[in-house]
Amino acid sequence: MTETIVALSGIEKTFFRGKEAIHVLDNLDLDVPGGSFEALMGPSGSGKSTLLNIIAGLDRPTRGTVKVAGADLTTMSDKQLARWRSQTIGFVFQSFNLIPVLTAAQNVELPLLLTQLTSAQRKAHVATALRIVGLEDRMDHYPRQLSGGQEQRVAIARAIVNDPKIIVADEPTGDLDRKSADDVLTLMDRLNKELHKTIFMVTHDPAAAERASVQRRLDKGALQ
Amino acid sequence: MVPIQYNARSLLVRKVTTLATAGGIALVVFVFAGALMFNAGVTRALATSGSPDTAIILRKGSDAELSSAIGNDYLGLFRGPAQVSQAGGMVGEIIVVVTADHADGSGVSNVLVRGTPANGIAFRPEVHITRGRAPRPGTNEAIVGQSIAGRFAGMSIGGTINLKRNSPLTVVGEFTAGGSTYDSEVWADLDYVRNSLGRQAAVSSARVRLSSAADFEGYRQLIETDKRFAMKVMRETDYYEKQSQQTAGLFTAMGLALAIMTSIAAMIGAAITMNGAIAHRTREIGTLRALGFSRGAVLSSFLLEALLLALIGGVIGSIAVVSLSLVSVPLINFATFSEIVIRFHATPDVFIKALIFSGVMGLLGGLAPAIRASRVTPVEAMRG
Amino acid sequence: MNLATYARRNLFRRRGRTIMTVVAVMVCVLILCLLRTVIAAWNAGADAASTDRLSTRHKVSITMQLPQRYIDELRQVPGVKAATWANWFGAKDPKERVPFFAGFAVDVNSWFDVQDEMVVPPDQLAAWKATPSGAILGDVLARTLGVKVGDRLVITSDIYPGDWQFTVSGIYTAKRKSVDRNTFLLRWDFLNNDPRAVYSKDHLGWMVSRISDASHSADISRQIDARFDIHDDQTLTMTERQFALSFLGGFAAILSAFDLVSLVILAIMTLILANTVAMSVRERTHEYGVLRAIGFTPAYIRGFILGESVLVAVVGGLAGIAVVYLVVNQGIGPALEENMSGLFPYFRASAQVLIGALVAAVVLGVVAGAVPAIRAGRLKVTDALRRID
Repeated sequence: MTETIVALSGIEKTFFRGKEAIHVLDNLDLDVPGGSFEALMGPSGSGKSTLLNIIAGLDRPTRGTVKVAGADLTTMSDKQLARWRSQTIGFVFQSFNLIPVLTAAQNVELPLLLTQLTSAQRKAHVATALRIVGLEDRMDHYPRQLSGGQEQRVAIARAIVNDPKIIVADEPTGDLDRKSADDVLTLMDRLNKELHKTIFMVTHDPAAAERASVQRRLDKGALQ
Repeated sequence: MVPIQYNARSLLVRKVTTLATAGGIALVVFVFAGALMFNAGVTRALATSGSPDTAIILRKGSDAELSSAIGNDYLGLFRGPAQVSQAGGMVGEIIVVVTADHADGSGVSNVLVRGTPANGIAFRPEVHITRGRAPRPGTNEAIVGQSIAGRFAGMSIGGTINLKRNSPLTVVGEFTAGGSTYDSEVWADLDYVRNSLGRQAAVSSARVRLSSAADFEGYRQLIETDKRFAMKVMRETDYYEKQSQQTAGLFTAMGLALAIMTSIAAMIGAAITMNGAIAHRTREIGTLRALGFSRGAVLSSFLLEALLLALIGGVIGSIAVVSLSLVSVPLINFATFSEIVIRFHATPDVFIKALIFSGVMGLLGGLAPAIRASRVTPVEAMRG
Repeated sequence: MNLATYARRNLFRRRGRTIMTVVAVMVCVLILCLLRTVIAAWNAGADAASTDRLSTRHKVSITMQLPQRYIDELRQVPGVKAATWANWFGAKDPKERVPFFAGFAVDVNSWFDVQDEMVVPPDQLAAWKATPSGAILGDVLARTLGVKVGDRLVITSDIYPGDWQFTVSGIYTAKRKSVDRNTFLLRWDFLNNDPRAVYSKDHLGWMVSRISDASHSADISRQIDARFDIHDDQTLTMTERQFALSFLGGFAAILSAFDLVSLVILAIMTLILANTVAMSVRERTHEYGVLRAIGFTPAYIRGFILGESVLVAVVGGLAGIAVVYLVVNQGIGPALEENMSGLFPYFRASAQVLIGALVAAVVLGVVAGAVPAIRAGRLKVTDALRRID
């Protein structure tokens, strides 16, 4: 039995629009065991992205405790959170978010610039990551020279290059055609099964949700 | 035609960029208008110093009163010709430039002292005593012009100015001549000044009032061709016009050159802003084209936006430069080597030129971006 | 690759905009350097004026003259090694080839001993001493008037009537850079003997003395003035540099105005640069959000933005001073010095001006990027990610 890697307790998140208070998340509890591949679905505005942001240390809850990978996020400063994220979390976004003026290899190298690794060591890690996603031969291409599916795979390489414990993915297949989406999902499956990465994925895509080991629904701020 | 509100709104939405770009143009306009105001100030000071119906006579070969010398004997002959207004009169005066200490101890400057006869003040209807009284002829009393009163040691009522050892002038009043160069002079009795300098036999210049401005040419011919002496006759307004050119010409040219060179940078700034706006609004432009607005309409629309942007800067710069009219600047009059005080002078002409200048900046800077905008195709409205 | 790579590469995102901003910075730096060079050239005369030479003139007015016998008394003052004198001749070219040049009537025996920055070949000097109507011209003036040694020359005067005939006895060259090479020198005794100079007979305009010790200039000046104080024509003595500075003082206001314009030029440059940086940052807010998510702190984001801003400023600044160096120091500077030596005996962009401009560009690059950088750093990660560029 693997230990819990994400433990959320009593989470509330309230936004204010002028004087109006909007309770996006209301008294939410969540336990995610290490090595799990979780899919979170739900209608628009249900707070999926908000929950994702809290787990990834991008946002703080209005109330409640957040323990992720052994760290108590609510007690950490912004600076500490940034450092923690660079070591613990790998991000995959819907719109890939590669830097257009850098090559694929340079994009993947970006998170490593926050570490103390030497240039040679960084290059080695980059090569490994690109090999895992199957794009070693494209390492000197710019994002505009890659297809959508390839871009997303480079983004995944960037997400895993610093060997994070958790991969956080927000609609990873949202901008892809069916074939590329399948390729990406297969890749994520491998990352989960072979490299034992915990994956927390928000998605609208039923095919993506199918691949996950656990499927949850978020509706009106509450988990089912 | 694309409605102008479209452009005005777009400028308002990107407030920071609009203000930064307009600010750059405003600064250029400030320098430009400042140079023009300086020139207008010098012209005003020197031009108001003369009247078109007065002839000034100098020794032939001299360019200014300072270097000229005319023997006393000739003075009567200048009054002879028919063009002279007997009522208007004539004055023969001596000029000397004295070293004066700044009242605040910040150094020395040259000040022009004019020895003038008994009718010297009356000869110039624009001269009024503002404080104290007029000097008594034949004495060592003197009056100081408003612009220099109090700025130099001894040049205020009750003070003394030394022309020579044991030859003091006592200041008894202040005068103004409506802002002309006389306002920067000290006036004293002609004979007293000449005696102090040991130059009893001559004057520096003569001024003769003619019956009318039209009589000048005839008078000039008579005097300049007279074989008994070698004189140069100028219309008083032309004499000061030349001084004005000598004094202001260089600095005004420099100021304008600086403004024009800097405007290149400001125009580039405007182009950057307009290009950025167009890049941001490609879909909008495509939509406008799809709706039926022609390329020409889009071109003129963005040209107009650039013009508006520049004019905002022009107006800001013009308003700011008005504050310069409070500033007085001491300057060396190259013709007399003495100090005159110039006030920046705002004329409507200055503002018209400033606005036109800013408009040109806007049009030139915005032309290439506007052409780019006009090339956006309706298809680009569909692109995400 | 390193962080600097990212900052550098970002400039190529909108190449046109980057190039235009660099050009705008270059133009501003160029104009600034030109302006400062003109101001420096103006002051050059004063800077180069010596402190071991005194000029003595009439206390009341520069237009009043002193008795010629004063020179003998001046030469007896302790500390005065040598002395000479000159009268302003008000020289003009009757053919108006030169708009303005200085004409002095000087003492044939002592002038060049004291004014040693003007160098005349000994044989020409001897010829001048032998020719009462001889004149010595600066090399630039001689060239403009088209005369060489031995030629006849006619000059008119602002002060003295009629034509004055001279023979060109010699041509002087300058030992130092900032010396006027446009001066006309005639013999004082020649002027004094002419009936047209009756009003200034046996009078001199001012005296120049070389003193033994420059550090005592104030003392010796006082001593000189004290000696003539009892006479009717009192004197005012100061070092040549003070004399030049007091002349410049008349332009103090104009020079202040030019300083103000210098600041205006820098302000314009900063506004253009800040505008470009702000536009770029606004377009990349989403990307900064991604970087923050990955783990880059606000300090890094600020660093990227400032880095880009300073880089543009530096490139523009270097381009600007390179153009100034080529155009001024290699081009129009020497041309002005040759042909307009009267106004601009020295016209070079000094290292001080060039480096000062570059430093200003760098500093203002930081200033221009500061506000956008701080604002970008303050943005919440989730807000930044939500933005669509």
